[in-house]
Amino acid sequence: MKKTFRSFATMFATILFVTVLLAGCGGQNSKTSNGKDSTSDKSSTAGAHASGTLQQIKDRGKLIVGIFTDKPPFGFVDEKGNYVGFDTDLAKRFAKDLLGDESKIEFVTVEPASRVPYLQSGKVDLILANMTVTEERKQAVDFTNPNVKVATQLIVSDKSGIQSLADIKGKKIIVTKGTTADIYLTKKNPDVELIKFDKNTESLQALKDGRGDGYAQDNIILYAWARKNAGYTVLADKLEKEAPIAPAVQKGNDELREWVNQELAKLGEEKYLLKLYDQYLRSELGPDVNPNDVIVEGGKWQ
Amino acid sequence: MKLDTAFMIDRIPDFIQAALLTTEIAAIVIAASLLLSSIYNVILYHRLPVLHTLVRVHVEIARNTPLLIQLFFLYFALPSLGIKLSNYDTAIIAMTFLGTGYLTEVIRSGIDAVPPGQEESGLAIGLSKAQLFRYIIFPQALRISTPALFANFIFLLKETTVVSAIAIPEILYTTTSYIALYYKTYEMLIMMAAIYLLLFLPLSFLLSWVERRYQHGTFGT
Repeated sequence: MKKTFRSFATMFATILFVTVLLAGCGGQNSKTSNGKDSTSDKSSTAGAHASGTLQQIKDRGKLIVGIFTDKPPFGFVDEKGNYVGFDTDLAKRFAKDLLGDESKIEFVTVEPASRVPYLQSGKVDLILANMTVTEERKQAVDFTNPNVKVATQLIVSDKSGIQSLADIKGKKIIVTKGTTADIYLTKKNPDVELIKFDKNTESLQALKDGRGDGYAQDNIILYAWARKNAGYTVLADKLEKEAPIAPAVQKGNDELREWVNQELAKLGEEKYLLKLYDQYLRSELGPDVNPNDVIVEGGKWQ
Repeated sequence: MKLDTAFMIDRIPDFIQAALLTTEIAAIVIAASLLLSSIYNVILYHRLPVLHTLVRVHVEIARNTPLLIQLFFLYFALPSLGIKLSNYDTAIIAMTFLGTGYLTEVIRSGIDAVPPGQEESGLAIGLSKAQLFRYIIFPQALRISTPALFANFIFLLKETTVVSAIAIPEILYTTTSYIALYYKTYEMLIMMAAIYLLLFLPLSFLLSWVERRYQHGTFGT
């Protein structure tokens, strides 16, 4: 009994020792890096208010962008494991024009509901994740000029018997947490039973498994999905009128917002978004959709 | 940082609702896991053929796969095989699956720790193996394993956060939903931490009190 206790104590002491050692190393590292450059130290505390000023991004040598990785064609992972997509490629172009190289970028995967918190806590400079401009979100973050326009619609299973938005009372509708569809239906349709998932892919799987009668989401995603899945129809009625989708920066970061606006205007002259549309969206949406119904070139809203 | 306390107060009823659901799921799961793991230990103790192997397989799968994966498997993969469970049923089944795995090992270690002299004495006075288990081994094993059992109860309670992933409106789901709707990140996170502490701290104290009472008069001390 005593022997086992002793070996236990030795083991415990070893683990403790290693932990302390590692923690010590970590502490020392951060100290030297802080001590080396007192300005960056100061700016990182200021970062609580407005992280990612242009100077900070340049000093750091990379742009940190929150993107989707499960929402084709806007942000997804290609067969080689690279982050690509309409929004993701636009972010790479931003990095190229700001820092001279499109690889000077760090991507952070976000979920719809975590986009605003990521900006609020200053963990990313920019969110380029298909975020629709809404009044509530304007209170929490600052939007640049838009790059896409979108309306929220409902896709229903043909078996559900839903013909129009008037039929959804008492039905089970799937939404992805934190999307405009979630916000709209939660507030305006308390008589609908909402089932909320964290990810777009989970919501689509749940729709396929028949866990709800329909799924409310941005129409571009729904049209693309309906083309590949028979037995589902996108209802023509819109939950809300068309709204702009725009990149977002932390509240008060006017410098970066202004830069993105100028950048979007510049890219508009060379029709860069149309190029991205041809690359990612045209095949998904089909030939019937007019690109100008989807993209907003040059940041000019209507 | 300014906290929107009015918003937090408005949300209290929803959080109470969520806390009740969390407690309900945890209570069902703990009761079911305890019952199942006791039955499993009867099987293990008597070395019943076939069943014995099945129990081992269950325990190893439960202990060596993450709960989130078990949940996703039950919820998203089974429908393609024609088995469609509601999210509530999925949560209860997946968590009981996990809980049984852990509790079985805890009770088994308790059984192993009962001094061999107890078993020998029982056999010497002519008890059958079933009687031996029922009257001598199992009660002592339970007493020995109480600290570990209670630690696992708390563990299971905390694991309920994972079922938010399949849209069960428990505490974490409620928190993230409100963050998603109103962007009150700090307020909701503070609220969540407070609710969990309010739930777990008293329970933790209660369990240690029960544990102290139950440990009185253990054989050999």
